[in-house]
Amino acid sequence: MMSTLSKYSNSFMTLLMLAIFGSMVLVASRYPAGARFMPFVLGFPALALCFLQLFLDARERHATKQAQGKSDVELAEERVSKAVGHEVHFDVGNILIPAEEGLSQGEQLRREAIAWSYFLALIVGIVLFGFHTAVPVFIVAFLRFRAKASWLLTLGLTAIACFVLFYAFEYVLHITLHTGFITDRILESMGG
Amino acid sequence: MFDIMFSSLYAMLTSPQTMGLMLIGVFCGLLVGVVPGIGGRLSIALAIPFVFGMEKVAGAVFLLTMHAVNGTSGQISSIMFGVPGDGDDAATTIDGYPMAKKGEAGRALGASVTASGVGGVFGAAVLALMIPVIEPVVMAFSPAEFFLMAMLGITFIAFLAGGGQIFKGIIVGFLGLILATVGTDPYTGTPRFAGDYLFLWDGLSLVTAVLAVFAIPEMIALAVRGGSISSVSHETAKFSYRQLFEGVLEVPRNWWLAVRCSVIGSVVGMIPGLGSNTAAWLAYGHAVQTSKTPERFGKGAVEGVMAPEFSSNAREGGSLLPTLFFGIPGSSGMAVLMGAFIILGIQPGPTMMTQEMPLVWTLIWALVVGNLIAVGFLMVIMRWAAVLTFVNGAMLVPFIIVLAVVGSYVNEGQWENLVVLVIISVVGYGMLRFNWPRAPFVIGLVLGRVSEESLHKALGLWGWQFFLRPLSLILVGLIVLTIAFAIYKNTRPSKNLSQLSVAQ
Repeated sequence: MMSTLSKYSNSFMTLLMLAIFGSMVLVASRYPAGARFMPFVLGFPALALCFLQLFLDARERHATKQAQGKSDVELAEERVSKAVGHEVHFDVGNILIPAEEGLSQGEQLRREAIAWSYFLALIVGIVLFGFHTAVPVFIVAFLRFRAKASWLLTLGLTAIACFVLFYAFEYVLHITLHTGFITDRILESMGG
Repeated sequence: MFDIMFSSLYAMLTSPQTMGLMLIGVFCGLLVGVVPGIGGRLSIALAIPFVFGMEKVAGAVFLLTMHAVNGTSGQISSIMFGVPGDGDDAATTIDGYPMAKKGEAGRALGASVTASGVGGVFGAAVLALMIPVIEPVVMAFSPAEFFLMAMLGITFIAFLAGGGQIFKGIIVGFLGLILATVGTDPYTGTPRFAGDYLFLWDGLSLVTAVLAVFAIPEMIALAVRGGSISSVSHETAKFSYRQLFEGVLEVPRNWWLAVRCSVIGSVVGMIPGLGSNTAAWLAYGHAVQTSKTPERFGKGAVEGVMAPEFSSNAREGGSLLPTLFFGIPGSSGMAVLMGAFIILGIQPGPTMMTQEMPLVWTLIWALVVGNLIAVGFLMVIMRWAAVLTFVNGAMLVPFIIVLAVVGSYVNEGQWENLVVLVIISVVGYGMLRFNWPRAPFVIGLVLGRVSEESLHKALGLWGWQFFLRPLSLILVGLIVLTIAFAIYKNTRPSKNLSQLSVAQ
């Protein structure tokens, strides 16, 4: 299942774009002629481009399958041999930069899930409890548990960041930050 | 013309607010530039919330100087540790790092920082000289051409992402354009794609979209990657101020190289789609070709450090030309900057020529003064700035995420924008993860309303015949040629050979 998913991963974004444009065109079709004009002018060519990109993705998968196991130099030799009509070998010695070793797919997904969880927790925290509560908690949690900073550094940096942030926006720019729905309820019930 | 030119300079220099913001812009730009992996686009995206509601000249000066000096400090990590801060710093690394290893880091840094400043000033001068030349071209444009210019802009920016990616880039550009239709239709009053959500009736928040496409995905990726950005020994980061001064003197000694490379950079900047790498590598190649001792290059030749810097900073001035007068950003960084300008109420196009010349001159002067301040500033803080290269990436993530989230909220003061931020961030991260270009999205979103208006006007004036107007035909031809060239570039047999030469 995982290998099938990764095999078709180069088409994920194309399919997402196809879904976005498809649904926008569908929704726009219910609007009056003048209002749906621009979404149609943009949506239909974009859908056509998405289908073209799907074809290109499939071609890329085919090419990758054929090239599997071959180095860049071997691929270049193959292309040049085809172009000049006889076999060509490059003597490149050890001048090529070795490819950077990446994370395994499982590890990559695990780290992505953690990073997204932190971000989503911050957003949910802000909506429910407001900036003044969610931001310090997020910074402390991230610095301490993800960046592995010491408690002293974590608390020091969080205090400085929160002071600068809230001072800049609330006192200098006079912007009221969202106080959070739950916090508002609690304050209301306390008569605040 | 001269009265506007000098009155703009006077007004800028005597305004404490503008000069103060310029200083902050220079400082922030240098700091962001020195940290590898955090590019100019991200810094502009993060700065947008702070300029929201600011007076447009002061805001534009702040953003432009921050963007313009970004590359000036990028070479610190390239030279000292062999870690290019951005794509165009790679050319500086070729000779800069060997110089550092020979114990000449100070000389290399002095030469490259001064070269960068001189290049920036030269680029601004070229921009100023080109204004009278392009004026008649800009004035000949009608709504038909402006609609096609938006399409051409997206095509060029898509091309910037690499020949093989052009269709992905155009799709992303169309996504930006179609999302710009969210909100009340100006002709029928119908709320499009907004449903009952009142906060969407005024359209999608540009600040939120820019932050979601650039800042959040970059930070999630940095959190996933983890660890220190630079893993090179601190020991290499040593140099003396005497060496630094010797390096500064290399620039007047090589003044003719400075002129030639700056011209290369300015011209490359004026042609959207050529990219910053092209400017730096073309200048480096030119320096090697014209040198009497080309064998020194790659082993620590000071000309090899200066040439790319002259060129890549001169490019900034050049790329302002299509950005300001045609609404076509000369680079992906300029695309984000253009979005920020529009948020400030600056509408790139012919009105810049007819109504906003004082602003144009202020921006040109800001490039000159900003670059000079950056050079002086960097000479002093160089030693400490280099330490930033060792900052653990994971330590930066929470602060930049919080800044982006606050920025998204304060722009309209609506918590619903945080939900939009999450949704667009998912798409933005998908683009980053699967190597889809992101800059065309911003261009599409920024130009969406203007292109819809232009299309309606063009259709009202000429019907679909507007495509057959001479200037329109030229623009359509350019779009077709760009796509055809991208396809050719992607399918020609020598593709792998070029990749091989890059690896070498």
